[in-house]
Amino acid sequence: MLSELVMTDRTAFAIGAGIYAVAFLLGLGMLMLRKTYLRAVMFTLLTGGFLFQTLGLNLRGAEIKACPLGNSFEIAQFISWSIMMLFFVVGPAFRLRLLGFFTVGLAALLSGVSLLVPGWDQPYPAGIFGGNPWIELHAALAIFSYGVFAILALVSIMFLMQQHGLKKKQFGGVYQYLPSVQQLDLMAKRLLLTGVIVLTAALVFGAVFWINNLELVPIFKLTATCIVWFGYLIVVILRIQKKLVTRRHALASIILFALAIASLWPVESAREHHHTPAETNVPPPTDL
Amino acid sequence: MRERFTLDNEQIGELQSILSEDPEIRECLVLNTCNRLEIYGIASSKNGFEGNIRQKLCSSQGIDRSLFDQHSFWHTNLDVLQHALEVSAGLDSQMVGETEILGQMKEAYAAAKAAKSTGTVLNRLFEKSFQAAKSARTKTGITRGQVSIGNVAVDLASRIFGKLNKSRVLLLGSGEVGEKTAQALKSRGVRDIAVSSRTFENAHRLAHELNGSAIDFEDFLSQLHNYDVVIGSTAAPGSLLSKDAIRHAMRARPDRPLFLIDLALPRDIDPAVEELDNVYLYNLDDLSNIANENLAARKAEIEHARQILKGHAWNLWLQLRRRNLISHQE
Repeated sequence: MLSELVMTDRTAFAIGAGIYAVAFLLGLGMLMLRKTYLRAVMFTLLTGGFLFQTLGLNLRGAEIKACPLGNSFEIAQFISWSIMMLFFVVGPAFRLRLLGFFTVGLAALLSGVSLLVPGWDQPYPAGIFGGNPWIELHAALAIFSYGVFAILALVSIMFLMQQHGLKKKQFGGVYQYLPSVQQLDLMAKRLLLTGVIVLTAALVFGAVFWINNLELVPIFKLTATCIVWFGYLIVVILRIQKKLVTRRHALASIILFALAIASLWPVESAREHHHTPAETNVPPPTDL
Repeated sequence: MRERFTLDNEQIGELQSILSEDPEIRECLVLNTCNRLEIYGIASSKNGFEGNIRQKLCSSQGIDRSLFDQHSFWHTNLDVLQHALEVSAGLDSQMVGETEILGQMKEAYAAAKAAKSTGTVLNRLFEKSFQAAKSARTKTGITRGQVSIGNVAVDLASRIFGKLNKSRVLLLGSGEVGEKTAQALKSRGVRDIAVSSRTFENAHRLAHELNGSAIDFEDFLSQLHNYDVVIGSTAAPGSLLSKDAIRHAMRARPDRPLFLIDLALPRDIDPAVEELDNVYLYNLDDLSNIANENLAARKAEIEHARQILKGHAWNLWLQLRRRNLISHQE
């Protein structure tokens, strides 16, 4: 049914990114004018962008007959899609004002940049996951956890802004729309735990494949992912022990997310080097 | 002068009756608040009417007529409508945009209506004024931001804790501003309030008024970590809460913020505590500055609100004229 659509996957992604950009600019304009935007309008825009992006991922998935996580473009789109989906779950539950604005800004940036850099959407061998459901689940969960960490970084930025405003006795402007520091801190704690649990599950599912295919274990990629996972795990432990809280916790979350995102590029390039035409029929390692 | 016209409910009723009994007055309503005494009325003729009313008021309160004339005002026709709408929207209040006046107007209207002192015109005027006030408040910033110390503190507490139903408050001293701030926090549903004062009787009395508990002044430091909001309002000559004391308390609650409100002069809390993470210190000057900024922002919206109310007043005036409910100069 999807193949009957006139629209290509890139068109759907482009429309989705365009809607996200409009939503972000609308929010920014209203903030600068010190007016509140209509929630119904913003929600409709976010939903519309999300639906087009979902359509794009579906079209791409139908084309490659696998989860679309084969190149930087697809990974960026999937992270962008993940953070929007998380916003729909997290935002209303916690009534986090402004989270939608920040989320849609990040989604528009990720999605827009991935569309504008042609080099990110390079073709890759068919059956990249080799039809192995474990490795496909591993890849999807790992990318989803990065989405959780992206939202965590956004919540941490909001926390630092609100704390700065309170310490410097700033009122009005963006500060009046931010949630309380305690609420943001609690949200960050829950997102951190969720992200670590999802990334741990991703590594466990990946390990099922690696144990049976030791010769295909991508050492560099595995090391990079484990470092990210270990970094977040340390933050969780320190948080539980109340040794890394509030401001330092927020800073750690932002720095770790920047490192996690930065690690994706060497991981990607390592994978590209690893693929040779002769390997196209062999299930390749697909770890992040 | 204003004090001379302070009326209790009984006196208002009497004044309302006197005015209603006057055959020249078709409708009347007395609005009495801490900041104003206003009489709204519809007269059958205007000849000498103003003088009669002024004289009646001066006689009943024993005030010199020339002094009264100096401090009072008299509006007619469209100006009355505009004035009533501005009063209901809080434009005429000392704290611009305050909403208490709307409740007071509703009460005065209900009382006059029950006494059958109002008729078609005043009923329409007051009902329209309530709608117009809502419209002005929604479309402008005249109610934006808090303008009292207590409410500014509540706003700040909400920015720190979100909902206050789990927050515990410690009030040090029994200063008036501190008490009002604690009351404002209580009205927003804080979990509990404890009072500590050098004079235990004062602490006990205030705790009773606030429906809280009193703790010994010697013990409050050891219990500091249990509280989320600490209000300093003592007359102590020096600092009661040092940076070390707060740092020590924060060790027991590193992931829970602490909001310190210093309303005392000289200060109860060492300003250096601001350097501590997760500690937010505001003194009386900070709160006053915020309240003044908000009040200035509200005042800047007055003209915008006035224009909106003018539209409502003009529409109401046309309606009343079209239906011959009011004649010019009434």
